[in-house]
Amino acid sequence: MLLDVRGEICPYPMMKAVDAMKKLKGKGEAIEVLTDHSPCLETIPMQANKLKWTVAIEEVGSPEWQITLTPPQS
Amino acid sequence: MTLINGHYIAGVLALTAVLVLAVVMAGVSPVLGSTWLLATAAGFTLQRSRFCFASAFRDLYLFGSGRTMKAILLGLAVATVGFTIIMYDKIPNPSYGYLPDGAHILPFGVSTAVGGLLFGFGMVISGGCISGSLYRMAEGYLGSWVTIIGVLVGLAFLSHTWNWWWNTIIIHEPRAWLPNIGNIGYAGAVVLTLIGLFSIFLLVVWWESREGLSLPNLPSNYTEDDTVTQKLHNLWKMVFVNGWPAATGGVILGVIITFMYMDSMPLGVTGELSRLSGKVLMSIGLPHPHLLGMSDLGGCSAEESQGFFSHTFAMTGGVLAGSFVAALFAREFKFRRPPSATRYIQSFAGGTIMGYGAGLAIGCTIGAFFDSIASLSLSGWLFGIAIAGGAFFGVQAIKRIP
Repeated sequence: MLLDVRGEICPYPMMKAVDAMKKLKGKGEAIEVLTDHSPCLETIPMQANKLKWTVAIEEVGSPEWQITLTPPQS
Repeated sequence: MTLINGHYIAGVLALTAVLVLAVVMAGVSPVLGSTWLLATAAGFTLQRSRFCFASAFRDLYLFGSGRTMKAILLGLAVATVGFTIIMYDKIPNPSYGYLPDGAHILPFGVSTAVGGLLFGFGMVISGGCISGSLYRMAEGYLGSWVTIIGVLVGLAFLSHTWNWWWNTIIIHEPRAWLPNIGNIGYAGAVVLTLIGLFSIFLLVVWWESREGLSLPNLPSNYTEDDTVTQKLHNLWKMVFVNGWPAATGGVILGVIITFMYMDSMPLGVTGELSRLSGKVLMSIGLPHPHLLGMSDLGGCSAEESQGFFSHTFAMTGGVLAGSFVAALFAREFKFRRPPSATRYIQSFAGGTIMGYGAGLAIGCTIGAFFDSIASLSLSGWLFGIAIAGGAFFGVQAIKRIP
C-alpha cells in the first residue's frame, strides 16, 4: 500500500502511518510512506517499532524519502 | 555527493548574504551585527535539530514521546545557569526589588495562563509554534507562511484589546521573580529552578516508559571512514545534512540565547511580528491605541519605530535567514503545498489564536517560556503549564480533523 503524505506536516504523516499499520494489521501487506517532511524519519520509525513493524528508509529525492514499513511475521 | 547542485549554490549565496548583512548591520550599530549573527546561529540550530516546541508538548499526548521535551529541559538548565550569572552581574543583590534589565520577568497571573492556553491550542492546530513556523517558512512550507500571517492577525486583535487586559487584569499582576521571593536569593532560585526542571524530566521519563516507546537502530548512513576525504565527507554530513539529536540542539540553543543576553538581550521572535502587525494596521487605517504599560514590561513587546534594521528585526530576521541557510545545505528546502484546503484553514486559525496568546503573554515559547524560566521568573513556569493544557485540547481537536 502506498501512503503519499507529501506536503503534510507533523503530526499528520505519523498519525496516518499509524492508522495504516493498525488497519493492515495481520494482513501481511507492507506500507510505503512517501514524505518530504524530515521529522518523520524519526517519528514514524519510533511508532512502527512500537507496533513491531520493521522500517527501511530510502532517500528518493531532495528532500523526499520513502519509508517502507514491513509487518511483523506472525 | 556532488557539489554542483542548486541547493549548494543557493546555500553559499544565502550564507554570503547573511555575512554581508552582518557587516551592514554592524555598521548601523555593533550590537545589531552581533545579534543578527547569533540569531542566525539560533535559526541554523533550530532547523538542524528540528527543534519544535509544538511537538515537544503535543507528542507527549499523541505518542507518549518526550524526546523534544527532554531536550528543552536540558537547554533550559544550561540557559538558567548562564542567565543567572548575567543577572547577578547586573543586580548583585536581588532583595532591593530591582529587576535586571533585559531579563524576561513578565506578569504572572490570569493573563499568563490565558495566553498560554491559547498559544498551546493554536500551535497544535497550526502544526508549529512561532519559532517553529518561522524556520519551516524558511524550509519552504507554504502552510507555515499562512500560520505567520495568522499570527500577525492575532497580534492585531490583541493590540486592539490590550488596554482592556491591562486595565482590568495585567496592572494587578506581579512580576514574580524567584530571587526576591522569600529572600531565597540567586542560589535558592537557581537550585529551585533546576530541581523543578529535573522533576519534570523524571516525570517525562516515567510518562515515556508507560508508552514503551523506543527508537529502533536504524541503519547507519556512514559506510566508509578510512581516507581523509571520507572523514571530511562524514563530518560534513553530520553537521550539515543529517538532523542533529534534539538534545544537542537544546544545549546549543541554551548557549546561544545566553550569549545573546550577555551581548544585549535574550532571543525573542514575537516583538518584530508585533511591530509588523502594528505597521500593517497603521497602513490600512486601523492603528492600535497606545499600548498602556507595554513599554515597561520588556519581554517581546514591540519596539517603538526605529529604522528598518531594528533589534527585533535582527532577531526574527536572523532566525529566518539562519534556518534558510541550514535548509539549503541540508538539501531540505522545497516549496511544499499543504494537500488540502483544510490545512490552510488550520494554519491560519491556529496562527491567529497563537498570535493572540503570544501578544497577551508578551512572548512565544522562546520569549515567554524559555527565556522567562531561565530569567528565574515564575511567569515562564505558568506559561509553560498553560501551554501544556492548551496543547492537550489542541490534540483532541486535531484527532478529529482528518
